[in-house]
Amino acid sequence: MLTEFGRVFIFLILGVVFVAGGLVFSWLIRPNRPYPSKLTTYECGEEPIGDTRVRFNIRFYVVALIFLIFDVEVVFLFPWATVFKGLGWFAFFEMMVFLVILFVGYAYVWRKGDLDWDRPTPKVPKYERGIGVREDHLMEEEVAL
Amino acid sequence: MPEQLLGDITKFLPEITLTVMFLVAICADLMFRKSPQIVAGITLTGLILSGAFVLNQSGMNESIFGNMIAVDPFAVFFKVIILMSAIFVIVFSLSSVELQTASRRLGEYYSLLGGLALGMMLMAGASNLLMMYLAIELSSVSSYILAGFTKEAPDSSEASLKYVIYGGLSSGLMLYGISIIYGLTGSLDIYEINHVLAQGSVSGSALAIAGILTLVGFGYKISAVPFHFWTPDVYEGSPITITAFLSVASKAGGFAVMIRFFKGVFIDPSATHLPEGMWASLSGFEWYHVVAAISVVTMTLGNLVALWQDNMKRLLAYSSIAHAGYMLMGVVVLSNEGLAAILVYFMVYLFMNLGAFYIVMVIANKTGSEDVEDYKGIGKRAPFLGVALTVFLISLTGLPPTAGFIGKLYLFAALLNSGWIWLAIVGALNSVISLYYYAKVLRNMYLRSEASEKKTEMIDIPRVQVATVLVLLVPVIALGLYFTPLVEMAQASVKMFGSP
Repeated sequence: MLTEFGRVFIFLILGVVFVAGGLVFSWLIRPNRPYPSKLTTYECGEEPIGDTRVRFNIRFYVVALIFLIFDVEVVFLFPWATVFKGLGWFAFFEMMVFLVILFVGYAYVWRKGDLDWDRPTPKVPKYERGIGVREDHLMEEEVAL
Repeated sequence: MPEQLLGDITKFLPEITLTVMFLVAICADLMFRKSPQIVAGITLTGLILSGAFVLNQSGMNESIFGNMIAVDPFAVFFKVIILMSAIFVIVFSLSSVELQTASRRLGEYYSLLGGLALGMMLMAGASNLLMMYLAIELSSVSSYILAGFTKEAPDSSEASLKYVIYGGLSSGLMLYGISIIYGLTGSLDIYEINHVLAQGSVSGSALAIAGILTLVGFGYKISAVPFHFWTPDVYEGSPITITAFLSVASKAGGFAVMIRFFKGVFIDPSATHLPEGMWASLSGFEWYHVVAAISVVTMTLGNLVALWQDNMKRLLAYSSIAHAGYMLMGVVVLSNEGLAAILVYFMVYLFMNLGAFYIVMVIANKTGSEDVEDYKGIGKRAPFLGVALTVFLISLTGLPPTAGFIGKLYLFAALLNSGWIWLAIVGALNSVISLYYYAKVLRNMYLRSEASEKKTEMIDIPRVQVATVLVLLVPVIALGLYFTPLVEMAQASVKMFGSP
């Protein structure tokens, strides 16, 4: 006699056996031909550059958070749409209230400038020409001496 | 069904008022960026209006939105406490120097305070585990932002981050507990859970685990030991106004939701032989022993650690932990007398704790310091503030003739009447310990003088601030002398929906 969680347990065991079995079986029957390119990181066929752990710009997180909030809230429209006919005007006004709140949030984000992607102005290093010329000049003199 | 919902909306007016106020406040913040006072005014109006609707609810004993939220005297009492402290905190904020460092974002600050109050009011009424969780989260998210509001100060950012991490962990544990309760009983509605548990087919050990995990979430909100680690850092790093609000209103919300959870879920409906006002817990999970243990640890640790503090905010943080411990004693006695004692204590605690924090703020506005050492000679430099702080600290200790004494008196009476004598003794001993660190501040103010000559000039305070202190000071003394109305109000407010 199986309990509800007994079935879950069997499912878990089967899951482990399936994955492990697949790996072991393919290890047994596959040909073994190693060469160095196989060990490199796969970056869509490109030569891998640098580490995978790089710092992301904090603005990505702001945009991602804003997207997440609005995405999840708009999902509420779907269950509403399916029962809309049965509930009538009550549901309509309820959803309008919800959408107004959503739009206030959107206006707030917009006005506070969280949607702006302000680019930092790159600092171009300035080359002081005069000093370089003089040094070159001195070096030429040294060579001549 | 829509008719039912529309009818319930009229009983939800206080919360709706706050929601509308919040929306109007953030729109006003966008339009009038230069003058955050407008947003403060809108928030204040919203809170007062909401308070009027709450008072209109007195005497109601119903459940709305399909048992999601209870509108009963118990919820109304806590809503009054939350709204009163929110109004006080907004008044405090208007005169805070510390907040001026972030004056550009002050509009956000006031609207978030309103949002925080909304979350706490939902906590006071929530009677469904999911609603409890959502209410706790709503208030937590606003508190995280407000704790880190003066983000230019490193302390404040640290406070916010610690608050988020502890909050995330404890609400995760609480959700786990709730999921186990749902698995055991098949419901999230506390009345239905109680009904299933009363049939006695649920395993006691599983219920104990679920109950303790859920208690983590409540313990975090009321900063009970061992879930208190965030408290000192957050209270020290946050702006003083937010510290004051968290120490009163956040605890009030936490206590309301915790008491409703334990009484609603574990009350034994078949125990009718008990004397009037007493109730029994279902057998299987002796939760009141767990709460009693937490209470003892909370007040003892809070008081002992407070002895070493030399920053006023930290000192008051540990003192507020200790006070949560005292109030927990009222939960374990399983009687309406105990609950009434908690309500009396909360009303008193509101005035004395907000008062103490306000004076710390006023002094910090002038001297720029919150160190106990810098309170030397304050008694002579600012006689009014000195006397007022003395009264608040004496009241926090629980000595007559202040209101703090009345709060403790009713708590201990409830304990003795139901036979928890050892717990009453521990509580009394703790009050004695607390006298030491409160007296340390008093000694610095009056008996020690500042060594340097420069710091002897008088501190003069604007009249508005004197008036604010008086509004808090008068009830602390008046309720200590004439407390019958408050006690009667509390005794009438212990009635909860669905409980006998």
